Amino acid sequence: MSSDEAREVVKRMQEQYFDECMLISTCNRTELYGIGKHGNPLDSDLKQFLIERKSGGTAVTADHFTTVVSEEAVRHLFHVVAGVDSMVIGDIQILNQVKEAFQISTELSAMGPIMNRLMQSTLHVGKRVRTETSICEGAVSISYAAVELASKIFADLSKKSVLLIGAGDTGELTLKHLIGKSVADVKIANRTRAKAEALLANLQVKGSVIDYENIVDALRTVDIVITSVNSPSYVVSPVDVQKVMKQRSNNPLFIIDIGVPRNVNPAANKVDNVFVYDLDSLKSIVDKNVDKRKAELPGVNAIVEHEVEAFFHWHNSLQVNPTIQELRESLELIRRQEVEKNINRFKPEDRELVELVTKRIVNKILHQPMTTLKHGAENGSAGTETLWRLKTLRELFGITTDEKSNDDH
Amino acid sequence: MTLEALVDLLVVLMPLMYGCLVLLYGLSFFKGTQWANTAKTPVLFATVSIHLLHILVRTAAFDHPPVTTIFEIMTTLAFCIAVAYAYIELKTKASNTGFFILLLAFVFQTTSSLYIKDLLDIAPIMRSRLLGLHVSSALLGYTAISLSAVYGILYLLLYHEIKSSRFGLIYNRLPNLEMLEKMSHKAEVFGFIMLTIAIAVGLIWLPMAFENFSYWDPKLVGTLMIWILYAMALTAKRTLGWQGKKTVILSVIAFALVVLSMTVINLYMSGFHSFQ
Repeated sequence: MSSDEAREVVKRMQEQYFDECMLISTCNRTELYGIGKHGNPLDSDLKQFLIERKSGGTAVTADHFTTVVSEEAVRHLFHVVAGVDSMVIGDIQILNQVKEAFQISTELSAMGPIMNRLMQSTLHVGKRVRTETSICEGAVSISYAAVELASKIFADLSKKSVLLIGAGDTGELTLKHLIGKSVADVKIANRTRAKAEALLANLQVKGSVIDYENIVDALRTVDIVITSVNSPSYVVSPVDVQKVMKQRSNNPLFIIDIGVPRNVNPAANKVDNVFVYDLDSLKSIVDKNVDKRKAELPGVNAIVEHEVEAFFHWHNSLQVNPTIQELRESLELIRRQEVEKNINRFKPEDRELVELVTKRIVNKILHQPMTTLKHGAENGSAGTETLWRLKTLRELFGITTDEKSNDDH
Repeated sequence: MTLEALVDLLVVLMPLMYGCLVLLYGLSFFKGTQWANTAKTPVLFATVSIHLLHILVRTAAFDHPPVTTIFEIMTTLAFCIAVAYAYIELKTKASNTGFFILLLAFVFQTTSSLYIKDLLDIAPIMRSRLLGLHVSSALLGYTAISLSAVYGILYLLLYHEIKSSRFGLIYNRLPNLEMLEKMSHKAEVFGFIMLTIAIAVGLIWLPMAFENFSYWDPKLVGTLMIWILYAMALTAKRTLGWQGKKTVILSVIAFALVVLSMTVINLYMSGFHSFQ
């Protein structure tokens, strides 16, 4: 969903269903968080609304949705912002996307006291996870792994030049990342010259297209080479490299070979100051980094749990007082009705005493549950339990709910 | 407290401080310990300050700067290395190489503290002005080539990890190859210039100062060989276009010879240029 679409949905959602709401939309997720106007809005209504909005037609059905409520929803949001719910574990971008989502809701005044607090906690989780664990460290894609290696070999990529030989998604992506690091010069070679020219124009970067026959010559002047050629035999031989290294006074040469089969003879790695990486070795770097990130999960989960608890500690304290108040009112109502109904059975001089005694009974009945609830909410550790107690209490005593958190996605 | 008592205290304190420093930098490098990471830089500056005090107090107590025996030289050398590193850390914000460099300072300081003597009487020859120039340029030179060697070794370790795509702590914590090579090279050039001055001053002054002067003195020959090795390494880089691995290996070998010369020749061979 585009930012405008998200705004539209948030607006409509707020009008129809929610007091406070927020929509996270990325390339692989659309999540709606909200606090219902009158208890939980019907799941099916929400889902239908979203499907129609996005004109998903028959491709998207209600089965594609999951709904989580209350604590689970908060936990889910924290997991999302921590990057552990992403396709790529420890995804860095998600923090900004979540920030944006909150920003949109703030602009549309769809944020209330609860969502504001939730926003603070969520961003806090995102920050803590990134500073206290290394879940976002290490490249987890082939192209980033190549860029990371380049910055371990060269001090300043903005003084280095790159040559891309051939085409292919990974090769182009790697080149784009390097351009993102503002490399000084870009050269592109392709057997079909027009393709190279088209790519260069597309990249909108200072560079040149060189003839495919001259690639070995070009190795003299560039520092990073990406090869991605569909060729049954090697495109670059160790002898080529050795010769070139002499001409370039042994300046380090980093060759990223993502061709399948390999484009560069692996023996070229034996030449001094030449670093050849092929798809397999880059993949093994990525795998190791993914494993390392996964090893950080317990730490991340601990942070998430801690923050969920802290959030509900606050949230419960919001709920305990009104609940106690309502419970008291409902018992008081019963007492009054019963006293009124039966007051004539008592002698006039006892009636005041009846009033007093019944009030005292109600107070005594209320005393224990009230202390337990307040104590639980203050302790925080019993956060979930307090919430559960409140829910039970409301159900058992038939207190109507309109201040309950309810988060769907 | 008398000056001598303070000197004795500082002689014991210095290796402890350097040990502490190495421990902090080690914890921060190998374990990523947070408290060590925050504590290391303040402790570095405390150590450097106390070391400066040590040198000043020594100079005052014994009426000469601590440069007249090999063990006096070593504590001064440790001080120079620590100061040079403190400067690098401030300048480059790359505190990750501290462990390796300060380890060297620790070794020099500990050796010095174990063997250093309270020396009041020194040969009158050791009070010459030219000696001051000779010794200070030699010290700066040795400091620089020590740093050059440490960065060289780190370069080779990282080079090996990248070449064999086996990535460990070295890969994760060190700066990049180019920077390590540049630091090693710059330090080497500076060190070479300083050593050249030291040797030139020495060759002018020594024949005047010593009656038993000989051009075949083992220390002289050793130093000259080292000088030639560094000259070769620098020339190779300049004219033959040697880069990276080979030049770095040359400077590491040259440094190994320096350490060998400093220990073996000074302690076990006799010559006019011995310190005692």
